Amino acid sequence: MSYLAHNTQFVPTGFRKILYLNWPVIMLLMAVASAGFVMLYSVAGGSAQPWMEPQIKRFILGVVLMIGVGMVPIWFWRNMAGLAFAVSLALLVGVELFGSVGMGAQRWIDLGFIRLQPSELTKITLVMFLAAYYDWLPTNKTSHPVWVALPVIFILVPTALVLKQPDLGTALLLLFGGGAVMFLAGVHWAYFATVIGAGVGAVYAVFVSRGTTWQLLKDYQFRRIDTFLDPANDPLGAGYHITQAKIALGSGGWTGRGFMQGTQSRLNFLPEKHTDFIFTTLAEEFGFVGAFSLLALYVLIIVFCVASAMNNKDRFAALLTMGIAMTFFLFFSVNMAMVTGLAPVVGVPLPLVSYGGSAMLVLMVAFGLVQSAHVHKPR
Amino acid sequence: MIRTPLRPLARILKARERGEDPGAIAAENLRLRHEAIADKSRARAEGRLLVLGAFFAVAFLTIGLRMGTIANSAPEEPRTAATGNPIIGQRADIVDRNGRILATNLETHSLYAQPQHMIDPLRAASELKAIFPELDEERLIKDFTGKRKFVWIRRQLSPEQMQQVHDIGSPALLFGPREMRLYPNGPIASHILGGASYGREDVASAEVIGVAGIERNFDSLLRDPANEGKPLQLSLDLSVQAATEEVLDGGMKLLNAKGAASVLMDIHTGEIIAMASLPDFDPNNRPQVLLTGDQSDSPLFNRAVQGVYELGSTFKIFAVAQAMELGLLNPDTMIDTKGPLTWGRFRIRDSHYLPPSMSATDIIVESSNVGTGRIAMQIGGERQRAFLTSLGLAEATPVELSEAPSGAPLLPKNWSEISTMTISFGHGISDSPLHLAAAYSSLLNGGTRVLPTLLKSDTVQQGARVVRPEVSARARSMLRQVVTRGTASMGDVEGYRVGGKTGTADKPKENGGGYYDDKVIATFASVFPADDPKYVLIVTLDEPSENSGDKPRRTAGWTAVPVAAEMIRRVAPLLGLRPQIEVSDVASVTLTSN
Repeated sequence: MSYLAHNTQFVPTGFRKILYLNWPVIMLLMAVASAGFVMLYSVAGGSAQPWMEPQIKRFILGVVLMIGVGMVPIWFWRNMAGLAFAVSLALLVGVELFGSVGMGAQRWIDLGFIRLQPSELTKITLVMFLAAYYDWLPTNKTSHPVWVALPVIFILVPTALVLKQPDLGTALLLLFGGGAVMFLAGVHWAYFATVIGAGVGAVYAVFVSRGTTWQLLKDYQFRRIDTFLDPANDPLGAGYHITQAKIALGSGGWTGRGFMQGTQSRLNFLPEKHTDFIFTTLAEEFGFVGAFSLLALYVLIIVFCVASAMNNKDRFAALLTMGIAMTFFLFFSVNMAMVTGLAPVVGVPLPLVSYGGSAMLVLMVAFGLVQSAHVHKPR
Repeated sequence: MIRTPLRPLARILKARERGEDPGAIAAENLRLRHEAIADKSRARAEGRLLVLGAFFAVAFLTIGLRMGTIANSAPEEPRTAATGNPIIGQRADIVDRNGRILATNLETHSLYAQPQHMIDPLRAASELKAIFPELDEERLIKDFTGKRKFVWIRRQLSPEQMQQVHDIGSPALLFGPREMRLYPNGPIASHILGGASYGREDVASAEVIGVAGIERNFDSLLRDPANEGKPLQLSLDLSVQAATEEVLDGGMKLLNAKGAASVLMDIHTGEIIAMASLPDFDPNNRPQVLLTGDQSDSPLFNRAVQGVYELGSTFKIFAVAQAMELGLLNPDTMIDTKGPLTWGRFRIRDSHYLPPSMSATDIIVESSNVGTGRIAMQIGGERQRAFLTSLGLAEATPVELSEAPSGAPLLPKNWSEISTMTISFGHGISDSPLHLAAAYSSLLNGGTRVLPTLLKSDTVQQGARVVRPEVSARARSMLRQVVTRGTASMGDVEGYRVGGKTGTADKPKENGGGYYDDKVIATFASVFPADDPKYVLIVTLDEPSENSGDKPRRTAGWTAVPVAAEMIRRVAPLLGLRPQIEVSDVASVTLTSN
């Protein structure tokens, strides 16, 4: 029996596929999104408008999309990976050109019903494309320098385009998401060691050079870095958000002030209260218990994704699942680290909880791919 | 790496012997080899997954621990790291003699913009215009769309305005904390308090500096961090101040005066209990300084301190008291009052018919210019000048207001005989109402000099002796008679035994050359109670005119006196004075019950 025959025989077909969806992940996604609805209701001062209602509508659309994508066989998506990546790169370039014609930082393309952000799309298509690449590449060539250089270029091109927008958060997500897929695909660890070592060395050199005659950066650039790394130095300027967020977290204590009782976020101390900094509202109103519960939900989603990937003998499916899980992980961990003051503020939303359509829909499509990989895995 | 060959010769040959397809063996071996490779890469992939999993776990733990420590920490307000010179906030409060707040601070916010963060400058400008109608929308649009990186919009905001600006939702509109000087009583005591404004300003704070009055005079004291929390206590009594201002305002309007001033002083301590100048202003919103015209027409002008006027017949008591002090006369000494008194080309007359000779008391009671002039001639210019100087009438008052030095008296350049005569009835010398209050206090309190002060002291000033106590008592008796049977008959307030002297002086023309005959400064200088003096009250009206009769009456007896009487009627109970009602006619009391 051929491999394909084996696959097709044991893979569910038609509506039976619904039974084979990764239901725990769907339930967890719904739980996280619901936490988001509650928080959006709270930051609006106890009102479904202007944030909760559109968010619910978009989430329902997202669930439908996810299941739709999940029903399509995974090999279709593998075949589409190259095209999808090419399209998203074209869109990124298009936005760049369009943005230079138009005024200001235009990151969107208006599709009428939704404003699509190509950088969001690229997060998924890059992971898809790299997974397909390593599925195609014979495993004995994985660590060959030429075959390592290619995916590095695939990662760096969209990263550079996004960085130019400028959107540091998304650029970092692309870099680390792509790197994770390469790592999982089995590229020799020496490459990673070299890159990490070089990076650390470069940063070290920059800091050591400070105050010497061969100083690598200008003084004002150093000061910017100082503020970026330690916003507490400038509590009313660059560090404003983070200081207020820490106050919110601290005032929440262990059990929180109670639903709709948060002062820090509801009294408009935090301008980004419904987007990047919504976690502070949650932490203030539900305390450590609430915040840690949300973290636990995220962790469970990752755990189920990893479990699905480990049981999947299809290389593309496993790499894609892990790549998406990694991107998702970077999303919320960078956000939480930023809000708790562990990392500098780079502008990454809290996935599924922060208000925002484009990011949520892209994320739901990504989980659709995870579902497809789960449903159509070789049994 | 030793590979098993895909086509092992022995097995191929064997298979050929048996007639089987040797290719199947090769395919089988290839499959096994692929599976071996796949297994190896799977093992490696699982190793990689473990590494990644460990990384996830570390990240989760870090974030979880971090959330725990923050949740466990006490919330901490951020503190701005001061750059440059620290701006000291916390100006001390100013309170009245009973501790009631006259000036305090209010936390508010300033509004500024950072146009480079502006998303929709046109909308922001139009919404700001809707909130603050006084803003210039064109100018805002220019500022918001131009190259400027920082634009002040308002220095102070009310909480409602702040909310409205917040609701515009522009990230470029920012608020800075501000301390604002607040005068909760509005225009009450406005000239004394003066006002405050902003000095050095930055986003996080601003310096509040006194610009006039007490605020300016005590600026460094009020801002001294060493005094933090300790309010500056004034001699003013807020209730009395409010009552005098109300009465003075009513009197000024009723008598069609263009301005008015009053000073109420404790006769022994020199404390100013109330001092008013009208028109006044709201120190919370100080009017602009006049750039053209006469500064004395500005509401900012403090008539009681800065306004120097010829105060007329109120000065006569000084001449008579000095003559008594010198032993030249006693209250019953008869003085020649035949007019006119001629000196060179000058002729001094009395304003109404008076007998050809009168007692010294009657000269005061009937206010005779001729009689006073003759007494002054006996005293002589030198001694007159020394006496008036000892009463403080020859130099600016030392009161604790930044405007006080500008209220310097106008003295004749050459203190000639005619000057001596006119000064004795208050012409040719200009003093402020506050000068007069201090001089009356010094003369009538038993005869020791008091200096006017706005700070609460409660101790009797031990000033230099001006006149003997007997002279002081006789002077009070004369002033009492002015009220009981003289020119100030409207000034009697039952129970408080008011004594006082009227003064009606023609206003000099601005360009020199004589006096107006229809513009006067009407003054009533009073003391109460006359037998046991406690307070001196000066009321001055600028160009009053009492129009109820056939022709306008402008003399102080018709204008300043009734206003002063009403004032005493209102404030004496507030000052804790008990009225003493003399039961004069016992026979008129009838018993209504058996």
